[in-house]
Amino acid sequence: MSSFYWLAIVESIVLGLLCGVVGTIVVLRRRAFFTVALTHATFPGGVVAAIGGFSVLLGAGVFSVVLVTVMTAISRVRRQGAQVASGVVLTGGFALGMLLQSLWPSLPVQVDTLLVGSILTVTWGDILAAAVVLVVALLVLLVAGKELLFSSFDPWGFRAAGYREHVMDGVALTLIAATVVVAMPAVGSILAIALIVGPAASAGMLVRRVDRIIPVACLLGVLSGVLGLVASLAWDIAAGGAISLVAALFFVLASAVRSLRKGRTTAQALRTSAEH
Amino acid sequence: MTVTDPSTSRDSAAAPRAGGAAASIRLEHATFSYGGAPSLADVTASIPAGEAVALIGPNGSGKSTLLKGIMGLVPLVSGSLSVLGTSPRQALRRVGYMPQTDDLDPNFPVTLRQVVMMGRYRQIGWGRRPGKEDRRAVAAALERVGLADEASRKFGDLSGGQQQRGILARALTVDPAILLLDEPFNGLDRTNRDALLTTLNELREQGVTVVTSTHDLELAREVCSTVMLLNRRVVACGPIETTLTLEKVERTFEGVGVEIDSHTVTTLPHGHGHEHTREHG
Amino acid sequence: MFPSFPEIVQILSLPFMTRSLVTVVVLAVAGALIGVFVNLRNLEFISDGLAHSVFPGLVVGYVVAGTDGVFLGALIAALVASVLLTVVSRRGVGSDAGIAVVLASMFSIGIVIVSRQSGYVSQLEDLLFGRLLTVTDSQVRQIVVVGVIATLLVVATWRAQLFRAFDPQGFRAAGYRELPYDVVLNVAVALVVVAGSQAIGNLLVLALLIVPVAVARLITTHVAWVAPVAAVVSVLCGGVGLLVGYQASVVGGVSPSPSAVVVLVMIVVYLLVLVAYVLGRQVRLWRLSRPAAGPGLTERAEGRSDAQGRSAA
Repeated sequence: MSSFYWLAIVESIVLGLLCGVVGTIVVLRRRAFFTVALTHATFPGGVVAAIGGFSVLLGAGVFSVVLVTVMTAISRVRRQGAQVASGVVLTGGFALGMLLQSLWPSLPVQVDTLLVGSILTVTWGDILAAAVVLVVALLVLLVAGKELLFSSFDPWGFRAAGYREHVMDGVALTLIAATVVVAMPAVGSILAIALIVGPAASAGMLVRRVDRIIPVACLLGVLSGVLGLVASLAWDIAAGGAISLVAALFFVLASAVRSLRKGRTTAQALRTSAEH
Repeated sequence: MTVTDPSTSRDSAAAPRAGGAAASIRLEHATFSYGGAPSLADVTASIPAGEAVALIGPNGSGKSTLLKGIMGLVPLVSGSLSVLGTSPRQALRRVGYMPQTDDLDPNFPVTLRQVVMMGRYRQIGWGRRPGKEDRRAVAAALERVGLADEASRKFGDLSGGQQQRGILARALTVDPAILLLDEPFNGLDRTNRDALLTTLNELREQGVTVVTSTHDLELAREVCSTVMLLNRRVVACGPIETTLTLEKVERTFEGVGVEIDSHTVTTLPHGHGHEHTREHG
Repeated sequence: MFPSFPEIVQILSLPFMTRSLVTVVVLAVAGALIGVFVNLRNLEFISDGLAHSVFPGLVVGYVVAGTDGVFLGALIAALVASVLLTVVSRRGVGSDAGIAVVLASMFSIGIVIVSRQSGYVSQLEDLLFGRLLTVTDSQVRQIVVVGVIATLLVVATWRAQLFRAFDPQGFRAAGYRELPYDVVLNVAVALVVVAGSQAIGNLLVLALLIVPVAVARLITTHVAWVAPVAAVVSVLCGGVGLLVGYQASVVGGVSPSPSAVVVLVMIVVYLLVLVAYVLGRQVRLWRLSRPAAGPGLTERAEGRSDAQGRSAA
């Protein structure tokens, strides 16, 4: 196997772990739409970076800071709310990216790779960036894991206990944004959603305690990445797409397991009540 | 209790406790707003330690706002507020809060024990895990509300009444001086209601100040000695015997059609509940 | 720099501009009216899921039967997606995660199919990014028909949809069944997405459903006004967007993506109205806190703007 495959595999593993951790935060805090909006809206950051000739990660990173601020601001307005905020930022950001791309048609970087990624051409720099975000995420869990849990479960109770909920939310959103940004070189923006949200959602259906959800999500994340890579090699399909589809497949399987379990407990309950 | 009732010009003090008891919560012309028109305006009250106050009013009348305001979670746009002699934020360590449980996600992967432990997080501090003392406090709180056997069950799997008691246990882990409850009796069956009533009475006897919003008059009569009738402002305030009259309650609910049986106040038509929407972010 | 009124009329009379204008007007009105319910019932995310899920249908339709197959392919995909999205959004924790997974997987299927095609890349890019200024006559006809049907579906069920949005319990108590009306709304959204994808592109069609209504809700609180205001805002932004795009290419010599320009005009209008609204509220709040409070205890009045906590749990 050639060396660029090794880079891709390392990236899959690091990203898989990261998406397991941050994906759980996304799922428990019901920030999936926010994440989707971010993946679309960081697109112009990548285009600007391509035009200016600097790192896509930097462009997307700076842009995401602006976007997170705008989204939280809009979601605080009473007549608007979180969904409108995500929708506006999603479409506005993406339209901006499209405008810039159309005004600079001879961009050196293929725009499609911004959308769907190119894991086979990731650099050590990309892997390092993902690893840094992974370490930060783990540190956050170490220092504030239980507080994050509390604020996700009961925001008002959290504030009543004297914590600053805005700060905790800001930390969570920053982690999510950072994950979206570092996933971009590998799986692009839109397809990153499947890798970020899928494994954690699947884990949530299989396991019932939050401290077990994270390891399972990490495992599924890594498997999605690696198996997706292998599939793309074997069947000659886009790697980003393959990884997303493997993650989606795990989701379907997890749903099936969950339904079977539910069916079994219902049948059991019926049987025990029939016995009386 | 010295509580000024705007509808009369003199203090309606039934039992003269004002002299020695320090004011637990003191509001003076306090007006709370979320950013638009005030949700609750011009509240003046002085609640001594160990008092139990019932907040009664239609939906949207400011009951939740007052509770959250006492915790410093709603902006005070005019007037003043002091809790346990200091600012609301500083007093939070000794304030227990029992919110409505229907906002909580029933599928959230936490156990009852984990939820009750959340009450101890402030004491545990950042970066540390719960210790022996914390586990003991949680077990004691669960014992107190009668849920010691359910500690390992998933919180969402518990019945509504058990969840309420679980949240109460969480509030009790900080050994509160003030307990704030938001509609604690909503949807509870007889057993759970009686259990809750007993616990609240015990807390009162230990000198905990209780402020609770409710539609349930039995709760009001059995636990509280004072009632505040609210409708975006204080309609009436004073001892239960003299203040909780049909005439005053009807005035509070502004002709929305009130029925008072021995247990509950029902308004017809029933409006929407509190304004929380569960949105996807 | 900006053309005068007679010049505007002249520009809009150019055949390709007329076609684009008709397309934009129909889509703007349809998007605004249907968007009212998307907004009231917090269906923005599901609509986004639907929009992305239609993409593989567009692709497969095109690959199998050329431009004539696009519509049918999209409809089939929309149907499949509606079912999946409804199933997936009924869970507790993870309901929005499920929508995200459906969205991404359907989109990936489209991407994977595109990646295995060698020939159709530019036409498929049109489906993603739109071709507002180069719509053909037959496409315009199709878009108008589909857009009008979608609008009529919602207009015909207007009162019931409104009732359901505001008072779901009352709706059920009055004997209505939710399912048929939800299906009607989903179909209307799907139709707008399909029609819009060919003109404005699959990735931006969501803007038509979300942004004008958001603007209207900042402007007015009366339900009866939201729909007309949204429609007017949408049409105006569409028209202005077309003109700006035209001017940019004719006078400025650049060729910006027309769909992007239209959406960005809407976004700019939205941001301006939002800032005006927030400033207006701050002024009112400031006025409220001015009467001085009584003798101070410990906490005095502060003019903090809000402490709502997260609006999304």
